[in-house]
Amino acid sequence: MIIQPLKIIAAILITGIILLSGCTAPQEDEPTGLTELRFGYQPSTHQIAYMAADAKGWWLDDLAPYGITSTKENQFATGAPEMLAMLAGEIDVAYVGATPPLSAIDQGLEAKIVAGAQTQGSDLVLATDLSYESPQDLIGLKIATFPTGTLQDTVLRKWLQDNDIDPEENVTILGMGGAEAKTALASGNVDAVFLPHPNPTIIESEGYGKVVVQSGKMWTDHACCVVLVTQKLIDEHPEIVEQIVKTHIKATQYIIDNPDEAAQIFSDDIGVSYNISNQSIQDWDGEWVSDPNIELVTALEYAKVQYDLGYTDKLLTQDDLFDLSFYNKVIAQMGEE
Amino acid sequence: MGQFLDVRERILELTSIVSAIIIWEIIARIINKNYLLPKFTEVVANFLKLASEGELYRDTITSLNFFAIGMGVAIAVGIPLGIMMGWFKTFDKAVDPIIEMIRPIPPLAWIPFAILWFGLTKYAAGFVIFVGAVFPILVNTYTGFRNTPRVLVESGMVLGCIKNRDLIFRIALPAALPSIATGVRVGMGVGWMCVVAAEMFGVSKYGIGWKIWHWNDLHHMDMVLTYMLVLGLIALVIDRLFRYIVQEWWLKWQTGVVV
Repeated sequence: MIIQPLKIIAAILITGIILLSGCTAPQEDEPTGLTELRFGYQPSTHQIAYMAADAKGWWLDDLAPYGITSTKENQFATGAPEMLAMLAGEIDVAYVGATPPLSAIDQGLEAKIVAGAQTQGSDLVLATDLSYESPQDLIGLKIATFPTGTLQDTVLRKWLQDNDIDPEENVTILGMGGAEAKTALASGNVDAVFLPHPNPTIIESEGYGKVVVQSGKMWTDHACCVVLVTQKLIDEHPEIVEQIVKTHIKATQYIIDNPDEAAQIFSDDIGVSYNISNQSIQDWDGEWVSDPNIELVTALEYAKVQYDLGYTDKLLTQDDLFDLSFYNKVIAQMGEE
Repeated sequence: MGQFLDVRERILELTSIVSAIIIWEIIARIINKNYLLPKFTEVVANFLKLASEGELYRDTITSLNFFAIGMGVAIAVGIPLGIMMGWFKTFDKAVDPIIEMIRPIPPLAWIPFAILWFGLTKYAAGFVIFVGAVFPILVNTYTGFRNTPRVLVESGMVLGCIKNRDLIFRIALPAALPSIATGVRVGMGVGWMCVVAAEMFGVSKYGIGWKIWHWNDLHHMDMVLTYMLVLGLIALVIDRLFRYIVQEWWLKWQTGVVV
């Protein structure tokens, strides 16, 4: 039997039209009653504010008056997959480094930074048998860090360039996850790693690396983690976003005032020993913050660096990245009280 | 008449592909969100740009290098081990539990050991591909040997083929060749899929898999899709080439058995 090509074409087109109608079905634009809030975060001491608010039950308690009955948390190894999840509409609020949102927003993610979370807090860790006196000692070495476009990748490349070291020609930067980077350093397959805390403390405690430069020395007060919220949540539930900022400010102040408990919360959440998390908080040069204005200047510098590197198609501005209105409103209210 | 049918089939294939591309382009234009579904025209433009700049060539050569290492070792290990297990019962009993325990472990889980054992080298990437490719080859070789018709073995023995070595190489191996060929073909497919995993932990700054991760980290999904399609196209070429070699040389004696 000869199959008629026209019948096949018709079948394909009909299938296509069915798919098309599914894809283009009218979207529900009306704000819906939101009952669950989905968070994304990373296993780092940088983002203990999220973990503290969760451990204390503050997310649920504070958001209950707005109809939130449950929260869902999603943990990510780095910022890139976290932003992909936000692009896919799987998370509403992300605790994330300041750089992964840049490429995501450049590619169409509708989201804004509504609060700061932390500055600095990553270390360059060199293998114990290598000596370090100046950045020039890094020439010819292999350095593992988080993948392209992450905060660590961006800060490291800029610092090397500032010290007349070509990141492409004079050193080998290898992008990978934190676990792989530690394995590579422990086995002598890379000479150094540049990672956020608590990784540097873990490496030092296991004896195969030593911290030689803290990221605050590379780029003073550089922005690190931020609180990013989808534009949909901002547009449809601004009162919830306002409360998220309030709770975040409360949690940040709590961990600043109670670093020992912050270490315990981190230890319980991630499974790292209390001694390591406590040591990490003592060793790092990071600072927990909630004011997005502190991170604004360097975040815009990151946008320039990423644009120059060709990571983003356009030079992102403050309006593309930040919505300061929630933080400013909350601070004004707190001032009145 | 046969030639006419052949032309009709070709037109049908072409029409099917063109229709799928048109539907893809229309859906992408309606959705109009590059990160959700990049347009076909953008993917083609990326492909042409990468090809003209030589980047695609460099990435393809890098990935093929890893693939050749992994597949080479998988064939060198999988076929002899499959032969031994298929022919010698005692060996099979001894080795089978170990193989069956290791076989279900996904290649991705071996990445930490790939780094520890082989460093951040092409051999580490080759190892991950090897893990993916070796078991289909081994299992199909084993099955091919176990299914050697008894009448062939007994006929060989009657005709003076008594030693194990002669029985293996003159009787069982030729009989098992179709099954081994299937194993190598499946192994190549799985091995090529592992290229993406093999290039995710910093063994190179080039390679099709590495570029998929790189552009994914920057959320340039049009580039991700471009490299995904390159990955698929190369797999198609490898498969067609292998089938040609098998049909024209390796198993030419089989022509006419079925078609």
